[in-house]
Amino acid sequence: MTASGIFAEGIDMTFTRNRMTHHVLSAVDVDIAPGGFVSLLGPSGCGKSTLLKILAGLQDPTAGTVLIGGTPVARAVAEGQIGLVQQKPALLPWKTALENAAFLIEMTGDRATKRTAKERAAQALELVGLRGAENKLPHELSGGMAQRVSIARALALDPSILFMDEPFGALDAITRDQMNEALYDIWTRTQKTVVFVTHSIPEAVFLSQTVHVMNANPGRISLSVDIDLPGPRSTTSAQFLEYERVLHEELDRNVEEARISA
Amino acid sequence: MSTDTVTIAVRRSAHGPSAGQRIAERWSALWPSVTLFAAVLIAWEAIVVIFDISSFIIAKPSEIVMETIASWDLLMEASWVTTQEIVYGFVLSILLGVGLALLVVRFKWLDRALYPLIVLFQVVPKVALAPIFILWFGYGLTPKLWLIVVIAFFPITLNMIVGLKSFDPDLQLLTKSVGSSRSQFLAKVQFPTSLPYLMAGLRIAITLCVIGAVVAEFSGASSGLGYLIQFASTQLDTPLMFAALVVISVLGLVLYYAIFWLELLVARFYPHVRTTQVQ
Repeated sequence: MTASGIFAEGIDMTFTRNRMTHHVLSAVDVDIAPGGFVSLLGPSGCGKSTLLKILAGLQDPTAGTVLIGGTPVARAVAEGQIGLVQQKPALLPWKTALENAAFLIEMTGDRATKRTAKERAAQALELVGLRGAENKLPHELSGGMAQRVSIARALALDPSILFMDEPFGALDAITRDQMNEALYDIWTRTQKTVVFVTHSIPEAVFLSQTVHVMNANPGRISLSVDIDLPGPRSTTSAQFLEYERVLHEELDRNVEEARISA
Repeated sequence: MSTDTVTIAVRRSAHGPSAGQRIAERWSALWPSVTLFAAVLIAWEAIVVIFDISSFIIAKPSEIVMETIASWDLLMEASWVTTQEIVYGFVLSILLGVGLALLVVRFKWLDRALYPLIVLFQVVPKVALAPIFILWFGYGLTPKLWLIVVIAFFPITLNMIVGLKSFDPDLQLLTKSVGSSRSQFLAKVQFPTSLPYLMAGLRIAITLCVIGAVVAEFSGASSGLGYLIQFASTQLDTPLMFAALVVISVLGLVLYYAIFWLELLVARFYPHVRTTQVQ
């Protein structure tokens, strides 16, 4: 499936709990080009995961519209355009890596697609560097490998957009660096649109074309930075560090604001 | 073409313990319970002999063995009747237990409507229902099945409900992201996830099925091991009572191990069903 862009306008999200109204997101606009890699960076509780869920059609906003490739997001979900990767791999313990990678196709696809599910899953596993691990059960996989399977599961769907909600947040630092390189490689090869939620600044700078820094209470985008560096990026170059510094300052300011208002 | 003969030395490394070693290991794990059991039997025999207790009151182990051999055909005939009641009752309990759990988990309103009633029903002393079932369904197989199901379905339902609700919410979001239905999620994720819980429920249920069958036969029957015990008691045939009791216990043990075997079978397809060691 060819990559789609995302256009979201006036996203507002409120919910009431214990007679307290929480303003989770306020007037958020997002415009992502097809094939783009956009990160949502922000402190805990700024609504970045909620925004991701709304953009992926998994949660309805209180107000605002989301269009995927020009069509309403609900239709994009029904058409199988959404690939989701979460912080935990959430693999089925009784299925092998291959069966797990094929699982979502079997849940959704039409007959013709289902017949090719295993084939597509095998290709996706190869793409994430797991050739030879097809028949392993989840408990035999390391954390990094399990997360690779969950990425393969999303890629096997051949979605037009990949939504990733802190996919490497639970991994150790070394594995995380490896996964970032692997994801960069996958992105350049598949040309998918990626929406990436993270609270790691280096990760955001390393991977993204655009980084949206978010602020809490209510959640909104406070700064958008286009990372104009050729890939693969060196994490120690002066420009890389400068991007990190700018993002860091903005994040610090947002955290400080949140502390005062709270 | 000539070939040279080469002699090489190979030495196969030992592959784990030999059969003899394994038996020795088994025995070293088993001997405390076996010894204790034998000691209890000997003490029992001795006490009955020393204090000259009448065999109307308690039968000696040796008498029980003799009686079991003497009444073998009678006991086996009764066992067959009781076994049938248990197996049919068990299968019906599974159907009802699993079915109810699936309905309660799939439909929220049923959860609210049915769940409190199921729990309320559980506090009713089920054994007291036996005479009612006999009043309604006579002395045949039907009232026994009713009592067994009523006693045994609850742990299955309860375990199954807990198991069905113990899925990973991340998986729910994932299946939602591809637009699949709740029923699909129930079948492909929740049901397999619940299997270890179901198995634990089945183990409890099978022992309850044995109890249900015997109690139902006490209340009114013309055959079966429970009936045989009652019959022997009216004849003051204490050795036969004990013999029937031994046979029931063995039957219960065999059925319990059958569930254990079933778990091993299920675990071959669903490896997360880890069978806990039964000694």
